[in-house]
Amino acid sequence: MESGDKVWEVFIQKKPGLAFKHAGSCHGYDKKMAIQNARDLYTRRGEGRALWVVPSEAIVSVPLDDSEAFFDPGVDKVYRHATFYKIPDGVDHL
Amino acid sequence: MDKFEKAFNDIIEKDLKVEPRDWMPEKYRKTLIRQVSQHAHSEIIGMQPEGNWLLRAPSLRSKQVLLAKIQDEAGHGLYLYSVAETLGITRQEMNAQLHSGKAKYSSIFNYPTLTWADMGAVGWLVDGAAIVNQVSLQRTSYGPYSRGMVRICKEESFHQRQGYEIMVQMAFGTPEQKEMAQDALNRFWEPALMMFGPHDADSAHSSQSMAWKIKRESNDHLRQRFIDRTVPQAEFLGLTVPDVNIKLNKETGHYDHSPFNWDEFWNVVNGNGPCNQERLDHHKKAHHDNTWVREAAAAFAAKTETIVA
Amino acid sequence: MDLTIQNNEAKFLIRLADTSLILGQRLAEMCSNGPFLEEDIALSNISLDLFGRAEEMYKIICEIEGNGYTPDDLVFRRNEREYFNIKLVEQPNEDFAWVIARQFLHDIYSQEVYKQLLNSDNSEVVGLAQKVLKEIRYSYIHSKDWIERLGLGTEESNARMQKAIDHLLKYVEEIFAFDELDKTYLSDTDGVTTVWNNDVNATLAACNLQRKEIMPLTMRDYRDGFHSEHIGHLLSIMQYLPRAYPDAKW
Repeated sequence: MESGDKVWEVFIQKKPGLAFKHAGSCHGYDKKMAIQNARDLYTRRGEGRALWVVPSEAIVSVPLDDSEAFFDPGVDKVYRHATFYKIPDGVDHL
Repeated sequence: MDKFEKAFNDIIEKDLKVEPRDWMPEKYRKTLIRQVSQHAHSEIIGMQPEGNWLLRAPSLRSKQVLLAKIQDEAGHGLYLYSVAETLGITRQEMNAQLHSGKAKYSSIFNYPTLTWADMGAVGWLVDGAAIVNQVSLQRTSYGPYSRGMVRICKEESFHQRQGYEIMVQMAFGTPEQKEMAQDALNRFWEPALMMFGPHDADSAHSSQSMAWKIKRESNDHLRQRFIDRTVPQAEFLGLTVPDVNIKLNKETGHYDHSPFNWDEFWNVVNGNGPCNQERLDHHKKAHHDNTWVREAAAAFAAKTETIVA
Repeated sequence: MDLTIQNNEAKFLIRLADTSLILGQRLAEMCSNGPFLEEDIALSNISLDLFGRAEEMYKIICEIEGNGYTPDDLVFRRNEREYFNIKLVEQPNEDFAWVIARQFLHDIYSQEVYKQLLNSDNSEVVGLAQKVLKEIRYSYIHSKDWIERLGLGTEESNARMQKAIDHLLKYVEEIFAFDELDKTYLSDTDGVTTVWNNDVNATLAACNLQRKEIMPLTMRDYRDGFHSEHIGHLLSIMQYLPRAYPDAKW
């Protein structure tokens, strides 16, 4: 098997002021090649004004076994949302 | 049933998407790898029959359009290889499977493109059939595949129109051009219909794929949709669909057609089409002739890259 | 159909248009033949830029000439000796090193030429040059990165790149034998030579490649429609359909 060909994750900013959005992945042997490959694969139709590529192996994600432990405790904290609070009628700008 | 399997079944039942890090049955993963890599290989091998006319495109416009289209196909192959990679297979492995004959690609690309009108027929019929299939696959249950299909359908919207535009030029051009257009339709009609795969009753993988919602609509259903759309388009061109039994069935609202030549289909699938050998040889040659380039890129990266792998 | 160009500015511009077209065609030959798919897409992109550039330039030429001919007429109906591209760009794709070396040698040259065209009196030429310079800049980055990878990669890649450079440099000298037309429409022809030599020398040196002393070939000038034998084959493929079916519209 050939070595050296790495997978990179591609993030595109559509225009200044917007967040970078994950677009997919691309291949490349080195950084310059990866960003050029990402440009040619994901922005041929003017989809972006800025690009990031990150080696896929640098992405850290929550292990599947722990996903309930990570995310379920955040579901029932209703007081973190504005709709939890009752404000009398007639009070504005809250 | 453990909680992971239950979670998987829930996702399928509720029409949600399975994501790469979710648990999935091994057979679901294998089925997807087979289907997605075959889809990717089809995009890539599909570059060749069109590439055959790229250097001979008869106008600056058609040359640029065809090149952009072939380039999209390379891009779509890459999107699909990326999807397959999320299932735990590498690009090198997929390439090796293509070269060994273990992985298949759509048989349609084993037919030769003989005249410029074939660029019209390929875009109109072959891309047209692929688009019907891909639109349906936008609702597939595997998230990355579904998202890939959405992107691909958006980009491919010009491909079929490009083909039909050529058919219009040819069908309404000189008598020689019209003859070429009819000849191209004659040669590509039935192979394009067989792109949807065997009849539902004979399709080995279909029912499990439908149950897992990898496939959302059956082969025959998609094929009929394509026929119903395409016959009137052929009539507009003043061309004759090469099937004496094509006619609108008033009861069903669909076009009837003759039985297909499945012997030919399976013979081409099994490697005996007009260009099977040429397509694979071309792909292997490009790969092997350039081994030194990839080695150089790897050596250069090893010397210069500071990111730790 | 007499497609002889009459106007001096058009005569100058068609050299640039033909150079773009022929290089675009050579790069299109690489489609499905690259070292990996990503590079196929990259080369197709550069090829599309070149075809687009050629087409826009032919439009300007057709306007200047005003004889009703179209860019497609110029592309598909002219014979070998009526083409005025630099010989460098008609050289074949022997291997990927040739493709890259040819591109790099071309990109430095054309980048400087289009920079100077920003000073043109013809506003359409200025507008085109502004657009084109961005494309060439990208192509230049791409080809220079590859010169580096191949020059510094492995022994084999270095040897192949050296061979490509040695061969292609033979076709470069004519580029700098500027004539009166060049001197009229470019603001500083000596500058083209200097910029080109400096960049080539620096890049080759940095990539472990040699610029060997090359004996000038006895060769006639591209400005008079002289070519290598490759051009006829390239044109016969490219022009086949409009020539075989002269009455057809495509």
